[in-house]
Amino acid sequence: MPAYRRIISTFRSLFRKEELDRELDEELASYLELLTAEKIRAGMSPEEARREARLELGGVEQVKEKVRERRVGAVADTLFQDTRYAFRTLMKNAGFTVVAVLILAIGIGATTALFSTINTALLSGLPYKDPDRLIVGLKTWDGAMSGPVSRVDYFDYREYGRSFEELAALATFTVQHTVMGGRRPELVDAGYVTWNLFRTLGANPVVGRHFQPEEEMPGSTPVTVISYGYWQSRFGGDPGAVGSTLNLNGTPFTVVGVMPARFRFMYDADVWRLVDREGPFDTERDSHSHFVVGRLKPGVTLEQAQGDVDAISSALAEQYPDSNAGKALLLAELQSFMVRDVRLSLLLLMGTTVLVLLIACGNVAGLLLARGERRLSEMAMRSALGASRRRLLRQLLTESLILTVVAGLVGITVAYLLQGVILQLLPIGELGMERPVIDSAALAFTLLVSIVTGLLVGVIPALRGTTTDPAQQLRSAARASEDVRSSRLRSGLVVLQVALSVALLIGSGLLIRSFAELSTVDLGFDPENLLTGQLQIQISQYPTTEERNQFFTSLLEEIEALPGVVSATVANRLPIRSRWQDWSIWPAEQPTPSPQEDFSAMARWVPPGYFETMGIPFISGSDIAATDVPGSPYVIVLSEGVVRALFGGSNPIGRMVNVAGWRTFEVVGVVRDARINTLRREPDAAFYMSHAQMGPSSAQIAIRTSVEPTALVGPIDDLLLRKDPNVLFSKVRTMASVLDDGVADFRIVILSLVLFSFVALVLTAIGLYGVLAYHVSQRLNEIGVRMAMGASNGDLLAMILRRGMLLAGFGLLLGLAAAYPGTLVLRQLLFETPPLDPATYVGAVGFLGLVAALACFLPAWRATQVDLVEVLRKE
Amino acid sequence: MAEAKTDLLRGTLDMLILKTLSLQPLHGLGVSQRIQQVTGGVFQVKPGSLFPALHRLEQEGWIEGSWGESANNRRAKYYRLTSAGRRRLGEEKRNWAQVVLAITKVMEAT
Repeated sequence: MPAYRRIISTFRSLFRKEELDRELDEELASYLELLTAEKIRAGMSPEEARREARLELGGVEQVKEKVRERRVGAVADTLFQDTRYAFRTLMKNAGFTVVAVLILAIGIGATTALFSTINTALLSGLPYKDPDRLIVGLKTWDGAMSGPVSRVDYFDYREYGRSFEELAALATFTVQHTVMGGRRPELVDAGYVTWNLFRTLGANPVVGRHFQPEEEMPGSTPVTVISYGYWQSRFGGDPGAVGSTLNLNGTPFTVVGVMPARFRFMYDADVWRLVDREGPFDTERDSHSHFVVGRLKPGVTLEQAQGDVDAISSALAEQYPDSNAGKALLLAELQSFMVRDVRLSLLLLMGTTVLVLLIACGNVAGLLLARGERRLSEMAMRSALGASRRRLLRQLLTESLILTVVAGLVGITVAYLLQGVILQLLPIGELGMERPVIDSAALAFTLLVSIVTGLLVGVIPALRGTTTDPAQQLRSAARASEDVRSSRLRSGLVVLQVALSVALLIGSGLLIRSFAELSTVDLGFDPENLLTGQLQIQISQYPTTEERNQFFTSLLEEIEALPGVVSATVANRLPIRSRWQDWSIWPAEQPTPSPQEDFSAMARWVPPGYFETMGIPFISGSDIAATDVPGSPYVIVLSEGVVRALFGGSNPIGRMVNVAGWRTFEVVGVVRDARINTLRREPDAAFYMSHAQMGPSSAQIAIRTSVEPTALVGPIDDLLLRKDPNVLFSKVRTMASVLDDGVADFRIVILSLVLFSFVALVLTAIGLYGVLAYHVSQRLNEIGVRMAMGASNGDLLAMILRRGMLLAGFGLLLGLAAAYPGTLVLRQLLFETPPLDPATYVGAVGFLGLVAALACFLPAWRATQVDLVEVLRKE
Repeated sequence: MAEAKTDLLRGTLDMLILKTLSLQPLHGLGVSQRIQQVTGGVFQVKPGSLFPALHRLEQEGWIEGSWGESANNRRAKYYRLTSAGRRRLGEEKRNWAQVVLAITKVMEAT
């Protein structure tokens, strides 16, 4: 039978059931008539014939039922019946249904909201083709991880490596380029990549093409691939941008392609240009500033590839012992390398979501159990009337599934609302991430969660509700006593809920404490009222160091004259805003240390007054002076960390140090270490050279204000425009917002966790309340009797409260026991907060205890309001 | 013994109905009377098994029912074989021949 006919007849029997039944009636009637006629013809009297024919036909209803059972759509039909019946029962108990649906909707909605947030913000971070074949290569010294790879070494690996389909490299940092032409000059971040980087990742441009191998050759026409964002801002998304010329730092580049909107690798870049065999970075094998990224050939394992590059590393070590002895390339999966920082947060959030959903499930399972008890007599009746246990189970499961699927639908609405809250709390939009939306993936997720939840909450109550012996049940149905086993089950569920909630509360408490520590951590400089920005002057306008120094000195003076400005300074890199740039440094009288043994610290160059403006305290010696200009002896200010490493405890003032083998400096002062790279690292060791002696054409500017820092953006911009319209003043931000970015990821985790703990707490309170309220309703008789015997309101209150607090207490103990191993997982995220922080534990227990007491009080108070006469009359 | 007889009937009822209808369209009573008559009363098809089988076969598309007049001017639902039913009958016949052959071999084995 062809499939379509089967489908048609199934539908026919489902939707034309009445018509089919009528036709069957007619057919049977005609059968009876024909048979009667036959029998009359055979000589029977009409009455006799009619009776005989009836007997022969048997029960008309039975025949009809048999026909119905054999119809194609029979299974679908009972499902239909179950569903209709389930809807009817659920509608009849509207109160129960609404509460159960709401609880589940909160659980499912929260899960969906977080899922879609995680899905867009964190999970879809690797939009590359076959990501499992992508690897990253990092340099090791004598087996110890060390980081970036030398460009010169990379080209050898690329040439001799046999395990890779492609092996690409990119510089570990972007370089700012000035784009001339257009309305105003502007600054862009350029990423340096080898020609095959995009090919390796399997990321294709949306317009144009990516780089070609011959474009890497020295002397070929300069080409660039631009980002989607820059395409929009500079070219307005015009496809004609491909083929046009972009003037980068005075050199015309031909735009050959535009990368997709969400393309990002390692860091954000506006344009990409080529690394080639001549540079620009790592002129020697002992300079290391590139990431290596590769795509394994199909079928080649990471181990095989590692063996392959190890052979190359040893060959290089033999050939270039000075630079390559003990150096090797360690391969790792790109995916695990990229998500190493967020993996823990992700696991944590996922785990939390599951816990919250479990708590919601516990509530609904408790409700279903309670209701199952009330329906025992109904079930007994149905089973006495011949319904099989399977049929009853199916009926009950259909009910809970309908409940959860409806809850899932409502949950989607909840998810929309919650997502609004999440988006308001989290800086996701600001970070330039795609705004999370509840998409088809999230909806599919919701559906899956709903169905799994339905089975989860339905199975145990359904099994419990259909086990009892119908005869016994029918006999005792009139008596409303609490079923001990079922009540124990529900109490167990509440204990688990309390335990999960308290564990969640402790977890979020610890994270909040860490966050507070992090926000109040001593940075080593003062971030308040500090406006920062990027400055770039055209080197063609200021060809000499003197001219450039003159510009910066006069600019700082003019800015300091503005109302609301306390002081202003510049630096090659401001703390937190820009990281790293660590150079080696050693006492000048010592020989150059080997690359494995050298000490490096953050290299900064600053004008006089920098430390005062930034709020970095002096320990000894003096500041860089206005007289420390080119031609005068080179001076340097060290931070304590450098002094400790280089000179032990002895006074360094007046000693000479060698920086990166470049030149020697006289130490004039010592300042405190400050957190230069990130909040989470210990304060970094740094050394500060004279800005004037370095004579750069670009700098980051910091302005200490006595007013709201953003109020000065306009006046400074005006001042610059008057002074020199070709100066680029960009990426203006307050230090406070820079710091905010540093903790943004952490804040996502914390806010989600707090939100979820709150939902968990509410659900647990509802669960406790539900169990106790039911408990009270089942003990009404007993309470009535106790009242009659003279129990006071206080006695009754205490009796019910004791039971509730007993449950909560068990849950608290269990939760405390579970929290400790749980917080060990958190340890990595904690900041100066011990996993066993007593304040957090006490706070969480106290808070939950309070909420539990409130949830218990209402039913207990109800117990005291029982109308004695009413209860006793019922008895 | 009676049980075994109905089992055999159950397995082959479809085939018997199809075969019967392949000769001429008949109404329900006609089908059961024809089977009883041809088998010399060995198979008596009761309405309780006849109608479910007829409706099943109709849903499968092997037979087609339409209302018509009986010989003595009474309304009755007549069933006739469709072309799909004819093919089905062919298959059933081949299967049946195989079953009979197999059983005969077993029973005659010495």
